[in-house]
Amino acid sequence: MAEHLLEVRGLTTEFETRDGILRAVDRVDLYLDPGEILGIVGESGSGKTMTVLSIMRLVPRPGRVVAGEVIYRGRDLVQVSEQEMREVRGAEIAMIFQDPMTSLNPVFRTGWQVGEPLRLHKGMGLRDSIGQAARMFRQVGIPEAERRTANYPHEFSGGMRQRAMIAMGLTTAPPLLIADEPTTALDVTIQAQILELLREIASQFGTAIILITHNLGVVAGMCDRLMVMYAGRVVEEGATEGVFARPKHPYTWSLLRSIPRLDADEREPLHPIEGMPPDLTNLPSGCAFHPRCPFRIQRCIDERPELVALVDGQRAACWVTQAGTDLELAATGDAWGGDG
Amino acid sequence: MLGRYVARRVLAAIPVFLGVTIVTFLLMHLTAGNYVPGLALNPDLTAKDIARIRANLGLDRPLYVQYLTWLGGILHGDFGTSLIDGTSVLGDILGRLPNTLELTGTAIFMGALVAIPLGVVSARRRGGALDNFLTLVSTVGFAVPQFWLGLLLILIFSVQFEAWHLPWLPSSGAYSAFNGGGPLDRLQHLILPGAVLSFFYISQWSRFVRSSMVEVLSQDYIRTAWAKGMSERRVTYLHALRNSILSLVTLVGLEIPGLIGGGLVVEVVFGWPGIGLLAYQRALQYDYTVVMGTTTFAALLVIVGNLLADVLYAWLDPRIRYR
Repeated sequence: MAEHLLEVRGLTTEFETRDGILRAVDRVDLYLDPGEILGIVGESGSGKTMTVLSIMRLVPRPGRVVAGEVIYRGRDLVQVSEQEMREVRGAEIAMIFQDPMTSLNPVFRTGWQVGEPLRLHKGMGLRDSIGQAARMFRQVGIPEAERRTANYPHEFSGGMRQRAMIAMGLTTAPPLLIADEPTTALDVTIQAQILELLREIASQFGTAIILITHNLGVVAGMCDRLMVMYAGRVVEEGATEGVFARPKHPYTWSLLRSIPRLDADEREPLHPIEGMPPDLTNLPSGCAFHPRCPFRIQRCIDERPELVALVDGQRAACWVTQAGTDLELAATGDAWGGDG
Repeated sequence: MLGRYVARRVLAAIPVFLGVTIVTFLLMHLTAGNYVPGLALNPDLTAKDIARIRANLGLDRPLYVQYLTWLGGILHGDFGTSLIDGTSVLGDILGRLPNTLELTGTAIFMGALVAIPLGVVSARRRGGALDNFLTLVSTVGFAVPQFWLGLLLILIFSVQFEAWHLPWLPSSGAYSAFNGGGPLDRLQHLILPGAVLSFFYISQWSRFVRSSMVEVLSQDYIRTAWAKGMSERRVTYLHALRNSILSLVTLVGLEIPGLIGGGLVVEVVFGWPGIGLLAYQRALQYDYTVVMGTTTFAALLVIVGNLLADVLYAWLDPRIRYR
């Protein structure tokens, strides 16, 4: 296979806490090609954000990357100097965050902030960078772009702020954009607009996007590929259509079943996932999902499954499906999985 | 917009100022209002003489007349004359003002200049050895009385250094009486009292900067700044400090009245010829026109200081509307 834009292998990030070592990211592998949108899905605390912060080398103290490689355009970002990493951040890989209300600095004008990456990385002057910020504002659909660059963040609405954040991420035309739950804090209508904007950017500029979300609907509409995380580990990975059609990990299967569907029988109950996400300092043995898994077998308790390709490049870390069991068939043939 | 904001604040300050003058006047009247200077020293004065002196000073008139006369004078810039030497109170204050401003201005400036980087360093390496050490030092700064620290410094840098034949620092005054008054001479005199006073400010403000920096550094927009690929210095001193300095401005603004009051103890210990020393000496002599004058003058500075802090804060923080 040709070289990917980004290839992460065995990335592991740990936090030393009073209760012991907490492994927030556990041997994560992922890759991304130009123009591709990869969705990372999982519950809170599943390691989605820590994975991308590890890629950016922005893991907050006392966390640190203890193993793995992050190969970006042939260089291992885990190994490069802080100086080199600084030149990657904002220029090669840009990142936008969940809460646009708090992610912009309240005491600087938006144009000043949006143009800042150009001054940092492209040697652009103040006036030119703000002019470019105005062009970016127009690009991301902020009306009266010129005038708006003189506004402070508190003069923007939430949706406008997230547009400004996206504009800030894209000013330097980075090949890779990481969006960490970019729409979670926004109204539903605004969410759709922001997602549409991201999709346009990916197709128009060939920007690769890593989209973190806990909303499977967003993944279905946006992402080429999907990666499901549980307890810091990747449990399933593959093309979005394939994973949605035939999930190969019981966690993915449960997530898909827990979404209310308009076309379902209205008397059909919702299926929330039983139990709580695990304590990362005290993980269950074997597969971390086994205490909540309706399909578990003895091997799941004894041995940790590795991520294995099952069909068409769709990979899952599950003993049950690796043994050839079809989850949908197993569920309908069983009392607790049946639809009543 | 800013002009209207300032005008509103000035209007709001008027009742405060009147209140301060009333309280000052009544307190001084209750403690020293019947005093006639020289009375105790002169057994030859008859009751008639005393009544005449009191009438000359206007002390026989009703209290509210005395107050209004005094207030009317102040509004015209006339703070009355000293009961001890008959000099103009305003003249005395203005004569001492440059010395006081020199001392406290230096202390506040040095305080902020040192406290900000110390606070930032503490916040960035919080829990580290340096942070713990600075916490200890500033606790000492809070706990140790200024007069004690002043005397200790005099003992070391004036008395002992001279005894050891080292270059020593003068222990009192703002300049040498003989051949003095040059910039270098004044600087030598300024070092010890300036150090005592700024140490207090440094202790207080460095803690303040530290805690507000700790808070700011955990904000989302700091993570955004990191993600843009800038140096730690730029993140800290541009993106974070600009936010945490906001609250320090208010604190420093509140110290502006300390330009007079805050320096009093230090002025007394080091014999610094400022307004604090003036008020202290004249209070011991029951020279109540001077005491009232300095108090009122200090109150004016409090009001102006608060106003300046508000305006500066509004100017620094775009979220504040001038309302």
